[in-house]
Amino acid sequence: MADRQCILCGACMAVCPLLRATGREELSPRAKSDLNRLLAEGAADLSGDAVARLAGLCLGCHRCKAVCPQGVDVPEVVAQLRAAHPDFRRWLWKTWLTHAGTLWPAGSAAAKAVPEGLAPEKFGPSLRMLAGLSGGPGLTPLLEPVKFPDSCRGERMLLFAGCTATYVRKRWADTARRLLDGLGVEVLAADFGCCGSGLSAVGLSAEAGVLAERNLAAWRAAGRPRVAVFCASCLEGLRAYRPDDSAEAEAWRKALTPLSIVLHDIEFVVSPHATSAIGYHHPCHAPEPDPDLALLRRALGDRMVAATGKECCGFGGVMRLGAPELSATVNAGCWAALQGAELVLTGCSACATQLAATAPAGVTAGHWLELIA
Amino acid sequence: MNQYAPSLTEAHRRFLTDLFPGEGCLLSAEGRAAFSADSSRCRAMPWAVVRPERREQVVELLRWAEAEHMPLYPRARGTCQVGNAVPALGGVVVSLLRLDRILDVDPDDFVAVVEPGVVTADLQAVCAKKKLFYPPDPASVKMSTVIGNASTCAGGLRAVKYGVTRDWVLGLEAVLPGGRVLRAGGRMHKDVVGLDLTRLFIGACGKLGLITEMTVKLIPLPEASASVLAGFADLSSCMEGARAVFRAGLLPAACEFMDANVLEAVRRIDDVPLPEATRAALLFKVDGTAEGVRAETERLCAALRPLSPVGVTVGTGAEEEAVWTVRRRISPATFQIKPNKVAEDIAVPRSRVGEAVERAHLIGEEHGLPVLCYGHLGDGNLHVSIMHDVSVPGEAEAAERAKNAVFRLAIELGGTISGEHGTGLTKAAFVPEQLGAASIALMDAIKANFDPSGIMNPGKAW
Repeated sequence: MADRQCILCGACMAVCPLLRATGREELSPRAKSDLNRLLAEGAADLSGDAVARLAGLCLGCHRCKAVCPQGVDVPEVVAQLRAAHPDFRRWLWKTWLTHAGTLWPAGSAAAKAVPEGLAPEKFGPSLRMLAGLSGGPGLTPLLEPVKFPDSCRGERMLLFAGCTATYVRKRWADTARRLLDGLGVEVLAADFGCCGSGLSAVGLSAEAGVLAERNLAAWRAAGRPRVAVFCASCLEGLRAYRPDDSAEAEAWRKALTPLSIVLHDIEFVVSPHATSAIGYHHPCHAPEPDPDLALLRRALGDRMVAATGKECCGFGGVMRLGAPELSATVNAGCWAALQGAELVLTGCSACATQLAATAPAGVTAGHWLELIA
Repeated sequence: MNQYAPSLTEAHRRFLTDLFPGEGCLLSAEGRAAFSADSSRCRAMPWAVVRPERREQVVELLRWAEAEHMPLYPRARGTCQVGNAVPALGGVVVSLLRLDRILDVDPDDFVAVVEPGVVTADLQAVCAKKKLFYPPDPASVKMSTVIGNASTCAGGLRAVKYGVTRDWVLGLEAVLPGGRVLRAGGRMHKDVVGLDLTRLFIGACGKLGLITEMTVKLIPLPEASASVLAGFADLSSCMEGARAVFRAGLLPAACEFMDANVLEAVRRIDDVPLPEATRAALLFKVDGTAEGVRAETERLCAALRPLSPVGVTVGTGAEEEAVWTVRRRISPATFQIKPNKVAEDIAVPRSRVGEAVERAHLIGEEHGLPVLCYGHLGDGNLHVSIMHDVSVPGEAEAAERAKNAVFRLAIELGGTISGEHGTGLTKAAFVPEQLGAASIALMDAIKANFDPSGIMNPGKAW
């Protein structure tokens, strides 16, 4: 299906958060795929770099791909355009270097994690950590696990923590390990690296391929067990791997498991100090139906008062560098949908950092793992 | 013949960028390209694109355009199937997506006041929160806008019970060429004073003026609904089944039809909850109070029984959506038959739908192409998909000939070449055949009173 052409039906326009927030049709997925075709057909007076620049204004949320009757993957089209136009790459690096200092406050955890020389393979993980990483210690725990079911007892499992939890929010990974331990899961050691999705999105597919191979090798070495993942974007990045062997590809897809599914039957007690106005942000990359939301609904009950559906947090990967004002417009729409919530939870490292950095006064935001004692 | 500005001069560019600063005016090729085509895939590059955010900008723009004889093309989401949003003769596209506020939803007057760029499903969602209902539901309801629906007089599944967009617009504000502001109708559900200028704009495809605000009628939101999918062994008992339902005194909210070719196509990508022997199917929806829906569903099933349907599935509550899957899968499924499609939306008197389907299949056979028929049987609106493969020599031409034959069939049966998509560019050649010279001359004369220089959406058929 992937090679089928866009038929300009416009189904993608129903779900594109960027179009919704800006009213700019030239930023819709349909416009981008059509523009790419016009460029390929050699339409007069179109410059490849200008096309790559415009089409590059994409949040990479993949909502359009999910509804496309033709199976067109616009973020992939965008990534290919970026890769094919070296001027765009030069522009990207220049912008990156110009903004790195302001995006990462000196002394923050992220600033310390900035790789010397900004080597390309560090670019993707760094992107994930751009927003809000100076945002303090995180949320106050309000949920205490009191009863663990036996459903996974004795299972050997891997935990894919991702860059943010590995370098900055170590608490997420610690909590995840503690919960898995409570369930009686044996968490195996594994030499995982970045999932690579940030690199693929900016057209650095060769570099992303190296990371994919490394992570697959780590999984093979551990005996191909289930891999628990607690970041929706990492999960989608990992699901995009295509091992050559089709049986292995199927096994890989089956092995990848949202951590919230593994934790679903744990019983939690809610702290009496917990706010009764909790919101949930559904990450663009989260599976449907969203298992994180199911876990939180079960644990928090009617304390959950607001949830996003169509809205994107506005993180948008590399787009945030080139067009921070667009990112801010999208982000404002997200907070409007979360109105009334004093505490906002989510299940994606990019969303969590973006929301923590942009929360209105009196509102706190973070990954739902921060809520668990 | 109208004389239009031949291109955009430097002074024109200056005017537009002053009136629409920043990203409000697009002049770059890559920026304009998105506005060159709509869902018809017809294409022509505009010279500029502007994005008004206030009515005053629209007034100023139309004053200038009239003076300069500059063609203007109002556009919202550009999901038109027939090329109405394509800037066919060059000029300026006016994107209305930033005029997208819902100004009022009034549970006492039962009206909503909206700007043109509001997405129809968004309006419905806001109304539903107040237990109010705006019924028009074209298939594009989640992606198209109230202005697009009004300009094409969009119909949809529920038209059989609730009518089309025309039946729900009570009033509007429009800016006419030269900058005159027209206010027609209002919040009254009854108003017989004067000619109905509001309705003149509905289905006029932006050829009279630029609508900047609409007042639409609302009704209470039905509290419940249920759906019934019924399969039949042949086409005639299927048509008889639909007739029996209406004769039983029922007015379903939707009455959809699918022929054997459609069912076969859907089976290739999904399960169809009907036996293999099914050669035609009906899909009904009833809505209203919970008690009423229960009673109507029972009566509907009873009315179908004498026709010996080969399968009946009733969907209520959470399962209702599942019976609609087959209908929703039609569009992607058609491409399982052949990679290219000519899709037309003729409408004929309800009693002649069966004949129309049989003869459309014959047209397909004569041209060596599969023809799939489905659609809104309740209002005689039939979607005829002529499947072909442009990479096979001669098939594209055969599809074109078959399309023309389908149009002639519609007219011969006392019907219309378009029930809801409009005519735009793709059906322009057939409009005189249906309307006749005298009607077209009257329509042109009416238009000239609104738009003397013919700058509003030129190059399109009535």
